[in-house]
Amino acid sequence: MMRFHRPFPAATGTFPRLCAALTLGFSLFAGAPAAAQSKVTLVYSDWHLSEPVWNRSLQEAMADFQKANPDIKVELEPVALGQRDVRYSTALRAKRGPDVFTLDVNPIQQFIQRGWVMDLTPFIQKESGGLEQWKSDFYPRALDVVSSKGKVYGVPKTLVPMMLFYNTKMFADAGLAKPPANWDEFRDAARALTKSRSGSGPVDQWGTTIVLAPAGFDLRFSVFLRGFGADLLKPDYSASALDTPEAKKAFNFIVDLIRKDGVMPPGVAQVDANGARQLLATQRIGMAFESAWAHPIIADINPQLDAWNTLKLAPVPSDQPIRSTLHLKSLFINPNTDHPEQAWKLVKFLTDRAQMQRWFDDNNLLSARKSVNAEYKAIRENDNAALMASELERAAFMPLTPKWPEINEAFRQNLQAAVAGSKSTDQALRDAHAQINQIIAR
Amino acid sequence: MGESRSVLYFVGPAFLLLILVLGFPAMAAVLQSFELLWVPEAGFSLANYQRLVTDPGFHKAFANTAVYVSCVVAFHMSLGLGAALLLNADIPGKWLFRVAAILPWTIPDVIGGIVWRFMFDTLPGFVNGALLRMALVDQPLEWLGHPKLAMFSLIVAEGWRGYPFIMLILLAGLQAIPQHLYEAAAVDGANRWHCFRYITLPSLKKMFMIALVLDVIWECRLFGMVYSMTGGGPGNATEVISIMTYRQYFEYYNNGYAAAIAVALALLMLAVSTPYLRMSMREER
Repeated sequence: MMRFHRPFPAATGTFPRLCAALTLGFSLFAGAPAAAQSKVTLVYSDWHLSEPVWNRSLQEAMADFQKANPDIKVELEPVALGQRDVRYSTALRAKRGPDVFTLDVNPIQQFIQRGWVMDLTPFIQKESGGLEQWKSDFYPRALDVVSSKGKVYGVPKTLVPMMLFYNTKMFADAGLAKPPANWDEFRDAARALTKSRSGSGPVDQWGTTIVLAPAGFDLRFSVFLRGFGADLLKPDYSASALDTPEAKKAFNFIVDLIRKDGVMPPGVAQVDANGARQLLATQRIGMAFESAWAHPIIADINPQLDAWNTLKLAPVPSDQPIRSTLHLKSLFINPNTDHPEQAWKLVKFLTDRAQMQRWFDDNNLLSARKSVNAEYKAIRENDNAALMASELERAAFMPLTPKWPEINEAFRQNLQAAVAGSKSTDQALRDAHAQINQIIAR
Repeated sequence: MGESRSVLYFVGPAFLLLILVLGFPAMAAVLQSFELLWVPEAGFSLANYQRLVTDPGFHKAFANTAVYVSCVVAFHMSLGLGAALLLNADIPGKWLFRVAAILPWTIPDVIGGIVWRFMFDTLPGFVNGALLRMALVDQPLEWLGHPKLAMFSLIVAEGWRGYPFIMLILLAGLQAIPQHLYEAAAVDGANRWHCFRYITLPSLKKMFMIALVLDVIWECRLFGMVYSMTGGGPGNATEVISIMTYRQYFEYYNNGYAAAIAVALALLMLAVSTPYLRMSMREER
């Protein structure tokens, strides 16, 4: 006769207790993976992740964020500045893309118009003090850029004006005692700096450069336009403003610097923002329009230059009330993110006072929060920062219109054509004016 | 009945795949160009095609494409034929030369563009360095900054990168020419030029046609080389239709207009390939 063993050693009073223990154990065990699974992964994308100085700073900030929020993991996704808008727009059209990403001013209105950024107003309203108190700490102009029809779509992070960077050693060698204060002095300084470093032989040092490649073009050419009292569009963006004598003066000035004076290096048509910084870092040029980020980047490219002390800042050499252009970096949330609450947490963290101070300490950038610029000691006691802060009032953003990329490119192509000599300066300016009006009228 | 069903099983998946990867995007582009798809307020409109006709930017891109394609294709044909004739000759170590000749074709066009961009760079570029060292110029030339030089540089770069394709087609054609034709010609007293003129060239006619049509289509669509070398500049001196389409779609978000440009390019390609299609159909009959 076969004997069947009982499945459990004791079927009497011990069995129910064992079942209960097992049930409890399983439930606890099952709880562990549930907790692990609840860890949310956010993808953060930023063009500054592909730049060494910024990358370090952002990595540290993300480590701090993850430490403070162990339930959130942040994956970093670098993107090249030149490819940024294409990458994001393609992904966002397909309802994909990073959870949190950054943009500068140019494409923001397009992204808002096309629904590619989340409306953050409901999150902000839940903050202590509500929407109005939250807004009160930011520069109103910065908020205008990320807002539309009363809704806030992004959080401004850093805000800086374009400035003239000049190499004090090269200025001293050329017998220049101070930075130029007007455009005539700028031209004279550029001529004085253009020479052969060996004394004989071909010219291998130039006065300045302009960025004529797409990446970084708008921030730099606009300084010339505004410095001459001109602008690209009328204040209401209804038409081109390039038909003014001031615009013509500015346009001719740029072309003459290149074609007549020869104070910019050959190949200027291909120079982009990084190229311009390389030229500054290697002392091939003596001055350029840049902004606060240039100091740490150039120091990283050429540590021997001692960029922080050798490169000084000066205002755009003009007495126009608006003579420079503002750069704003802001954070946005993908409307298709699966984790809006966590994404908002990350955005809040990266734009809080402590991180704003970090962006100044590490990257030399002023904050979009008024209180940080006014109260943070390191900013208050820094000459360059004080100069930049004073210039914020004399700078403006590029036109906030969804058609901006096309308008900007029409102007760039015509300026390039004038520089290359395939069009006369008058013709190129007329063409740019007509094309921009066509774009606006469409 | 059973046989026709099995034919359907064999052909069906390929047909379905073709519809998915070719038919659907093509139809979507046509609908988009008429503002019937993926627009906030869909409604039939010819506005994008009207703009195409009147847009000086498109006219310039079209003219640039015509110049670029005709020069590059002519470059490919002559270089490809020359290389094919050399590689068809009975020389020792022929395989090594064949591998070397095909190398440019293996380089992706974007990489090729970046390499040539460095070569033509105004300040540290190899080309200017060599010209200055040989005292052929006293100032560096703006290879990519001058409109005509930029187009010339592009043609040289793409001419180098794309000729092996033509070479391979023509080499295959050369190897198919029966040897006895040359032997008979030699008996009749034909010299090398006569053989080339009256045997080689006529025998390669069909291969030339195939190579020409495929190369024109390929070059009309080429994007990476132009984008990485000049980005269409200076100004719009090298902006070809593919670059313009990309800009309109991805940078300016003018989806409908970009689709209209793409449709126009597709129609042009269809017109270019008609002689080849006719020839193939005639042969099949």
